[in-house]
Amino acid sequence: MTQYVAPRPGSSGARRLVGGPRPSDRIFRGLSYGSAALIMVILAGVAVFLIIKAAPAIAASWSTGDLASGTTAGYANFWAYSGPLIWGTLWMSFIGLLIGAPVAVGIALFISHYAPRSLAGILGYLVDLLAAVPSIIFGLWGIAVIRPYLLPFSHFLTEYLGWFPPFGGQVSTTGSTVLAGAVVLGVMVLPIITSITREIFLQTPRLHEEAALALGATKWETVRLAVFPYARSGMVSAILLGLGRALGETMAIALIISPSIVFSVALLTENQNSQTIAANIAVNFPESNDLPRAGLIGTGLMLFVISFAVNFAARWIVGRTGGSAKERRSRKIAPPSDAASILTLDVAASPLEALEPRGSSAHPEGQEPSIPELRD
Amino acid sequence: MKTTRIAATAALIAAAAIGLSACASSGASSSPSGSGTSTSGSGAALSGTITAGGSSAQANVQTAWTTGFTAANAGVKVNYDKSQGSGGGVTNFLAGSYDFAGTDASLKPDQFTKAKTTCGADGALDIPVYLSGVAIIYNLPGVTGLKLDATTIAKIFAGKITTWNDPAIAALNSGATLPGTAITVVRRSDGSGTTANFTTYLHQQDPTDWSWAAGTAWPTIPGDKSSGQQGGSGVVGAVTAGSGTIGYADQSAIGTATAAQIEVGTSGTFVDYSASGATAAFDAAAQDASQGAGDLTVSLDYTKIMATSAYPIPLLSYDVVCKTFKNAAQGALTKAYLTYVTSSAGQQLAAANAGAAPLPDSTLTKIAASLAEVK
Repeated sequence: MTQYVAPRPGSSGARRLVGGPRPSDRIFRGLSYGSAALIMVILAGVAVFLIIKAAPAIAASWSTGDLASGTTAGYANFWAYSGPLIWGTLWMSFIGLLIGAPVAVGIALFISHYAPRSLAGILGYLVDLLAAVPSIIFGLWGIAVIRPYLLPFSHFLTEYLGWFPPFGGQVSTTGSTVLAGAVVLGVMVLPIITSITREIFLQTPRLHEEAALALGATKWETVRLAVFPYARSGMVSAILLGLGRALGETMAIALIISPSIVFSVALLTENQNSQTIAANIAVNFPESNDLPRAGLIGTGLMLFVISFAVNFAARWIVGRTGGSAKERRSRKIAPPSDAASILTLDVAASPLEALEPRGSSAHPEGQEPSIPELRD
Repeated sequence: MKTTRIAATAALIAAAAIGLSACASSGASSSPSGSGTSTSGSGAALSGTITAGGSSAQANVQTAWTTGFTAANAGVKVNYDKSQGSGGGVTNFLAGSYDFAGTDASLKPDQFTKAKTTCGADGALDIPVYLSGVAIIYNLPGVTGLKLDATTIAKIFAGKITTWNDPAIAALNSGATLPGTAITVVRRSDGSGTTANFTTYLHQQDPTDWSWAAGTAWPTIPGDKSSGQQGGSGVVGAVTAGSGTIGYADQSAIGTATAAQIEVGTSGTFVDYSASGATAAFDAAAQDASQGAGDLTVSLDYTKIMATSAYPIPLLSYDVVCKTFKNAAQGALTKAYLTYVTSSAGQQLAAANAGAAPLPDSTLTKIAASLAEVK
């Protein structure tokens, strides 16, 4: 930011438009720094709260006292209780993503590359609207519509594909299955994945696509050769953000599935549905006393850790593939021909740049044609 | 231009905040303002706010009582937070933030001891306030008036009877045509006082078939195929939407679901739920389990329910209150409310508006004596 106002080395003082930071600048910088610091404080506060509140249950004996009765009865220790819940959370989210992510990417591709402009606008708006539907509404929808609707399909799967463990077991008669929960989860992760991938698809360099088309590629081949490679890291991070949403989803899952705290891959049964951490907290918190509550908060701590791990994984993947993509781009794109960048440069041309024309800066042979300040 | 836009947004947010806080301020003031104005006198106007919460089973009945009580005492507000559940209610009560807590289970010994730090040396009282029954609801097309006894119920819910035309069910329902549909047991997925009452009934009546200890959570049964649903409404919804389903719920919440007739003891008489039946059952089953002077904890012995006028599975819920309030005015106010709740009029109101059963007169007398100690 400050690069715009700071005098460049070698340029004369006469070109300085602004003398120094004004009060408003200082105030907004302070607010901005404060907000950034606040997020750290909040995060640390939540972590400390979870650890302090969960510690008694992690340390306590689970075979006597409050923890030995009620909803926490029958577990040797905290890890025996939280292990299946962690598994259930990951499993449910995985199935939800398996259902939701391909559809979300498909919608994004349709909006960015296939749909006529007017339809694309409406569709994009509708998908964003989906994100505004509260999860309890999805839960009720799941109970009333999805559950009975999936029953015939479940019977079909068990009858013909029952040898595959997730489809095995006795089919549910109420429909409160992992599959029903995952379908609803899939719908819930649609908006976030769609809107991020859509933006990334739209950023595909026009020339890549035109080059592919000029080489005789069909539309699908163009998408495959030009759009997907360019958007890969963005798609991965979008899907991992969707996973973040799926991991923490509470009410819809609590309402829909018939849970048990077990390690199970079953998707269609009545009582072999792995419970998720968030839903387990939601259903059991009200009736719990001090120690069982601490146990539930402990599982919340596990969820916190998992979410963190997922986000770190997302960053790592994006950093890795994103970095190499960037290298490829800077190596292969012949800058002067990049019409989109030139257009951006023209649009962004400001009086400041008019005073100091880009051509005079130190870029050899027109390398780095785009606005340097926007590059990281 | 931009400044005015920001200013307009800020103004809008500020207006909304003021509006909201205005709404909140009417409800949140927990101080018993002016309740010191001679509440001790007979019939003097009460005013102030009672903050309470807990058992969701008491939600409807507390609403009915609040309406009835505030009709006579316009200055009083009662905030009963049903979202807490019994555990949350007791936790908040022991933390000192509630005037009373609604709970489906009486205070445990350690909680009773802990209450002495919250309430002072006199400790707390468990007061029975809400009596209802656990209904066994089912949905089996073509079958109405299903009759069940305790052993059969225990076997069904333990997964030992799996089809509707099982000889054990057929023997109880001579004349009815039972289909070979598989039985789907529907139970609560969340911890619940209803589950605690129901599993106590099963364990007491048939410990061979139901060997699991009673508790607020459904036990881990090997090979269990039951369907867990959240909340009483979730169970009722799944039972009515399914076919061949059977479940249990607080009878005041079953709506239009079909309830089975249950045999009283081994009498051969099958009864529907009735308020008078629950009252009679409570009278027979309640065993004094007092934890201290004035405390009215009872343990229900379901095997003692023999009279053919009684309903075999009563459901009881308590309000827990400090014997000595730190704030005397607040104590008088809460005492007045609970006295109303456990008065004959209050119990009749609960029966009429919330499907509750009135507590027996003998119990109401004991409650009145205990509440007289509250100050």
